[in-house]
Amino acid sequence: MNETQAKDELLDDGLVLIEKRKSLSLTPENAVFFPSEGGLISLRLTNEKGEIESFERVAIFRAFPITSPEEFLSVREVSPIKNEKGDEIGMIRHLSDFDEATQKLFLEELDRRYFTPIIQKITAVKEKFGYSYWDCETSAGHIVFVLNNPFSNIRAMLDGSVYINDIDGNCFTVPDPSILDPASYKKIEIYL
Amino acid sequence: MKLRYDLPDADRAALEAAAPPDEILMYAVPYNICEDRFVKGFLVITDKTIYKLLDGKVLLTLPIEGCDDFRVEVMYGSCGFYIRRNGTTVLVCQFISGRNLARYSVILRALEILSEQHNTTPITNDLPERFCPKCGRPYINNTTICPYCMDKLEVYRKLFAMTKGLRWMMCFPFVVAVFSVIISFVVPWIEAQAVNRYLEPLSGTPKGSIAGFILIVLAIVSIDLFQRALSALQSRITAVSGERFIMMLKNILYEKLESLSLSALQRQSTGDLMGRLNNDTTVMKSFVMEYLPVIFVQVVSFLVALIVMLVINPLMCFFIFVPVPLAVFLIVRFWRNMNLRNRRGSNLTGKVNRQLQDIFAGIRVVKAFGQEDSEIERFREKSLKSANHNEQTERFFDTFFPIVTFAIRLGSYLILLYGNVLLFRGEMALGTLHQINAYAAIVYTPLVSMTAIPRHISNFLTSASKVFEILEETPEVSDIGLPIDIRMEGEIAIKNITFGYESYNPVLTNVSAEIHPGEMIGIVGHSGSGKSTLINLIMRLYDVNAGAIEIDGVNIKDISQETLRSQMGVVLQETFLFAGSIRDNIAYACPSATDEMIIEAARTANAHDFIMDLPQGYNTIVGAGGFSLSGGERQRIAIARAIIHNPRILILDEATAALDTETEKLIQDALQKLVRGRTTLAIAHRLSTLRYADRLLVLDHGKVAEFGTHAELLENKGIYYKLVMAQQKMGAMPKIEAKTAS
Repeated sequence: MNETQAKDELLDDGLVLIEKRKSLSLTPENAVFFPSEGGLISLRLTNEKGEIESFERVAIFRAFPITSPEEFLSVREVSPIKNEKGDEIGMIRHLSDFDEATQKLFLEELDRRYFTPIIQKITAVKEKFGYSYWDCETSAGHIVFVLNNPFSNIRAMLDGSVYINDIDGNCFTVPDPSILDPASYKKIEIYL
Repeated sequence: MKLRYDLPDADRAALEAAAPPDEILMYAVPYNICEDRFVKGFLVITDKTIYKLLDGKVLLTLPIEGCDDFRVEVMYGSCGFYIRRNGTTVLVCQFISGRNLARYSVILRALEILSEQHNTTPITNDLPERFCPKCGRPYINNTTICPYCMDKLEVYRKLFAMTKGLRWMMCFPFVVAVFSVIISFVVPWIEAQAVNRYLEPLSGTPKGSIAGFILIVLAIVSIDLFQRALSALQSRITAVSGERFIMMLKNILYEKLESLSLSALQRQSTGDLMGRLNNDTTVMKSFVMEYLPVIFVQVVSFLVALIVMLVINPLMCFFIFVPVPLAVFLIVRFWRNMNLRNRRGSNLTGKVNRQLQDIFAGIRVVKAFGQEDSEIERFREKSLKSANHNEQTERFFDTFFPIVTFAIRLGSYLILLYGNVLLFRGEMALGTLHQINAYAAIVYTPLVSMTAIPRHISNFLTSASKVFEILEETPEVSDIGLPIDIRMEGEIAIKNITFGYESYNPVLTNVSAEIHPGEMIGIVGHSGSGKSTLINLIMRLYDVNAGAIEIDGVNIKDISQETLRSQMGVVLQETFLFAGSIRDNIAYACPSATDEMIIEAARTANAHDFIMDLPQGYNTIVGAGGFSLSGGERQRIAIARAIIHNPRILILDEATAALDTETEKLIQDALQKLVRGRTTLAIAHRLSTLRYADRLLVLDHGKVAEFGTHAELLENKGIYYKLVMAQQKMGAMPKIEAKTAS
């Protein structure tokens, strides 16, 4: 086969360069989310051609986890390849467009996927052997976490909230450091 | 990495109640998060069932039979372990990634094996843990040392054992220290004699003779001279012994490193090893040579002062030592606070500087988007914050430093008070009071610098244990066989290799290929398909996890590094030029090359003409701080370098991406000459680059998808066919493709 011929065939076939599904705008009209048997989220989608597609499990990602946690949610299928994100089925503009049961379902899933305990009290901060050890009470219970460089692992956002990433991959947040008790605030203030 | 934890009693009981007796316990691993809480739960896997346990309760029971998908998803702040069974997916448990991600990846593999065929032999692995099993704190980066649980005495003992041959030299600082302690106590005593006998009795006649006074003066002068001579000698000897100590340490370390197998070395990054060789040995040296004698002096003089004062006047001794705890407390608190403030200060200053640097580096973008005002505002905000902080720190220091100083001198006031009472009563001579005051100063002065001691000790302990960790690593047995020197023909056999940078996460799986001598193989695939990894393995930058790579029938593990590297040449996309002349850069792999050879190589690489355009020709300095060459020019120099090197096996990585057509032609032409007669492996996204490849190896998600000639692959209409078609379709804009593809 010569190359021009192949090229023509290619165009005729409508062969796409990137094989990905087209992301839709998901609304209560075209997407029905319901709890799966395994306690996760299932989706029944009416696609552009009007066909019903079913997904046993979809994964939800935030586009703006910090600034708009309940808007622009990316709904993705589970990739057949491990360690890879699946294709985006669509995006939800406002979670509030959906009914309360769906909202609850989503928030539960998002809480699991974005596990970010809120620090309520900082009991002790100790710097030793090049690490910084933090003994804290959080919304998920008591924990001692370790930072290797508090100045770069504690980050204050523009809105004043503080995010902490520890050496083990945990994320913690302090939505408003100034409402911490004075002793706790003093311990974290240094790093802001 | 531990795959079978001991269960707490309650969980064990719950498991025994839930599991049928014929099930065999195979794995028990912890999970950390349940229902938005941190917990200490365990996931237990028997040969038939998965149990999720928490505080003596079984939360989930899942038969392995029927499970067809196991996966670990790295989420934000945690990881989730999902299993699909009979079409239903469940989130089995959630865990902290740093602690357990690698462990669960092994478990995932184990479950896949269990679900495919029933067996009862647990799999094993040699992945290192990242945290201390005893206390749960993380190990020091890249080591298996827990700073809290390590045996500190053991470190000192090992250090002492190492100082053999240097001991007399290393003892010298301590000998000098003893002298200086003695002198520091004798001098005030002599001064006291001078005051008591000659200065105080002004009204009457001196108690001693004038000869005695001269003797005292002479004694003071000669002691001072002696002390200075001693310290000069000490500095000299410390310098020498310090250098010898560090040299010895480095030599021992280096010898050890050389004897270790490549894979043991590759477990650590080069930077980390360099750090241990340079920084950690320096930290050890300065501790042993500088801080240890100082600490010794401080401790000894403290003790001597205590004893001497007790002898002179116990009550006075009491007055001196009573304020010590208070002073220590205040000093420690003060400096801890100051240090944090200073660190925050430098952090804030750093932010201001980074902001400035950003603006200057991106000034064209700032101006183009008209963002000057907002940038000025951002800068103003940051610098205001920094200024406020510095002001606060300054105020803090100015307020509290005098208080701390007062606390330190509190003892002296008490002495003055009590001493003067004694003086007026005639129970103490003026000189003696002076002597006691001097001793008080000996007690108090070190307190100020004392706060740094714990830090020095902990730095030393960490560095020393890192060094000892290498020294105690045992070379692997498999590497003992003598490396073979071969003259390569260039035949490469890739035999069913599997490899992952982390062994639980394979990048390449079961890759096999036979490459004949002199053949040019193009390696094609999407980004992340494992192309560069395959090249790294052939160069033996890493060892395969399973399978083998053979060159001329010899496993590359048996070929000496030198042979392997000397007969392999590499031209990379990002060409690195060393700081030096163009001549040096071309002759890099072969310093003995003559000028004729260099010019010939440059001609072949189509580099001669542009080099001659440079004012200093082949002597033009390039690289960091030198003349800047364009990407295409740098590549041609790299090609010339490879030509001089004359390797049997040549590796081209993206050699002609993102270049203009003219330059590309020049490079293509140079490459054509270069690959002739050599086994060549070329990675390129631009398929036109691979026009002359004899065969093409198409990788897809770490597996060989297609392997054959250009024509064969087009015939197949597989991945390669699609890629060719896609690139033809986008032929009008080749550069975009070249950029996005990588």
